[in-house]
Amino acid sequence: MSTALAEPMEVTPEANRLADAFALVRRSKLALLGGVITLLFFGVGTVGAAIVLVPSLQHLYLDQNLIDTLKPPLTGGHLLGTDNLGRDLAWRVAAGTGISLLVGVAVTALSVVVGMTLGAVSGYFRGAIDWLISGLIDLTWGFPLLLLAVIVVGILQPGLTSVIVAVAVVNWAGFARIIRAETMSLREREFVEAARALGVPHWRIILRHVIPNTVGSTLIMSSYYVAYTVIAEAGLSFIGMGAQAPTPSLGVMIFSGRDYLYVDAWMAIVPGVAIALIVLGLNTLGDSLRDVFDPRLRRF
Amino acid sequence: MRNFVLRRLTFSIFLVFLSSIVVFFGMRAAPGDVTTQLVNPANSYSAYLVPNLKHILGLDKPLLSQYFSFMGNTLRGHPGISLINGDPISRIIGSAGLETLKLGGAAFILTLVTAIPLGILAARRHNSLLDQGTTFVAVLGMGIPNFFLAVLLISLFSIHLRWLPAAGSSGIRFLILPAFVLSAEAIAITLRLVRSSVLEQLSRDYVRSLRARGLPEWRVVGVHAFRNALPPVFALIGTLARNLLAYTMIVEVIFRWPGLGYQLVQSILERYYTLAQVLALMLTVLVIFFNLLADLGQQFADPRVREGGRG
Repeated sequence: MSTALAEPMEVTPEANRLADAFALVRRSKLALLGGVITLLFFGVGTVGAAIVLVPSLQHLYLDQNLIDTLKPPLTGGHLLGTDNLGRDLAWRVAAGTGISLLVGVAVTALSVVVGMTLGAVSGYFRGAIDWLISGLIDLTWGFPLLLLAVIVVGILQPGLTSVIVAVAVVNWAGFARIIRAETMSLREREFVEAARALGVPHWRIILRHVIPNTVGSTLIMSSYYVAYTVIAEAGLSFIGMGAQAPTPSLGVMIFSGRDYLYVDAWMAIVPGVAIALIVLGLNTLGDSLRDVFDPRLRRF
Repeated sequence: MRNFVLRRLTFSIFLVFLSSIVVFFGMRAAPGDVTTQLVNPANSYSAYLVPNLKHILGLDKPLLSQYFSFMGNTLRGHPGISLINGDPISRIIGSAGLETLKLGGAAFILTLVTAIPLGILAARRHNSLLDQGTTFVAVLGMGIPNFFLAVLLISLFSIHLRWLPAAGSSGIRFLILPAFVLSAEAIAITLRLVRSSVLEQLSRDYVRSLRARGLPEWRVVGVHAFRNALPPVFALIGTLARNLLAYTMIVEVIFRWPGLGYQLVQSILERYYTLAQVLALMLTVLVIFFNLLADLGQQFADPRVREGGRG
């Protein structure tokens, strides 16, 4: 009987939050736009990742046609036109979006795992381990991603793996900072105290009681960080430190488009607009997620 | 306050030491060294040439003693000569540093000169067309990556209108596009900060009192509210400088501006680690310096901000 009484009390706030979220999304067209663009990014990105990873599909974006070079969008069977080697820009942008998605998700997953673990441990145990970890966070946090990435590429080799390592080496600190702060306040709450009084081991408290309560902020930050990573990957590839030429990274595509601006600007504009849209969508989605999960920041 | 400054300073010096180790040993761990660049591996004498060259260059000594001589030479301002064209590295860095200073300085000034007046105006005419317009452009400015913005601007101003050069660094006209691209994001961030900071001041009681006393509006907003709105902007300056420095790497490469970032990227692509490690170390030291500046700025702006949990 007591469970029957307890249940509605636990469900109601969740239901409210969900209803809240829907109301917000419906009310705010921007949130909807962000959501739709992000879905599109994931959809196109998945297709793109497939054609990059499956060798028998790579011909879609690698096939050259030296008769039909530098076509503007909507000509002769090429939705977005062709590049200087007559390769189809629509497939190339899809493939590039796939690489952005792969790198963005890989880096963010890595940073979340490392940042969450270190942040939770540091905020939960405090003391010497906190001193060490927050020192490490401070050290990383203040360091510009680009400079570190260029140094990491100098140590490893130019390429996507180096980019993933370099960006993750910086980004984990962003997650660790927030998770640490949240853990510090969560550990003082009654339910954590109760668990501790019941003799629940520390690792279990962290896993079952602390981490689930930080999912909201992690989700919000992830959407910003994926956007950030997409820009970083494209930027590093643009200056030659990331993906190398045949790989259709959006940054590489803009870079090669730069040399043909005199002839046809589309080759640089098409991948550029793709990046701008991805970033815009993710940031808008992040903003609206923040409005849902953190009502203190709500702006209406 | 003095304690805080001292502690921050010691921490920064420790960071410089740490990054010198990471940069030096990291770059040494990188595959290949300058001898693989200088000696053609197909050369039939390479088995003889490479060890000899390594001996002349001191690359056969223990790594630790190489580190000390590298640091000693760098600190004395003689990090060596370029093995590619024989120029002293200090001269390469001097001229590159000057170029970066020009570009970064121009971008910095451009940021303050555009963002502060526009921010004040946007706050003064809250929710007006101007306010919404600048907010929209600012959001756009933060969303478009600077390398794509650069390509768009080159396409418009250099190719279609033929007003400005697309790349190079021989005169003030060459500075306009890169400085603008470099500062675009900084302008957007500063503008939003100035706007919200001034807006917060304008809702304070003292502003109402000043207006009631009949002070002209430009004095109320431009002098009194603005002065009180400045601290958060001060606090941002160190961070701003740091980010501008980091972005010079991309902007310099796009516009082939021969500054520190361009040289660093080139030297890494050419596997020229002697120059790369000096440049990387130099940029790192600058970043640490700007971070120190940002910390002190924060402290100066708001005495309530004390160093967090760390003793």
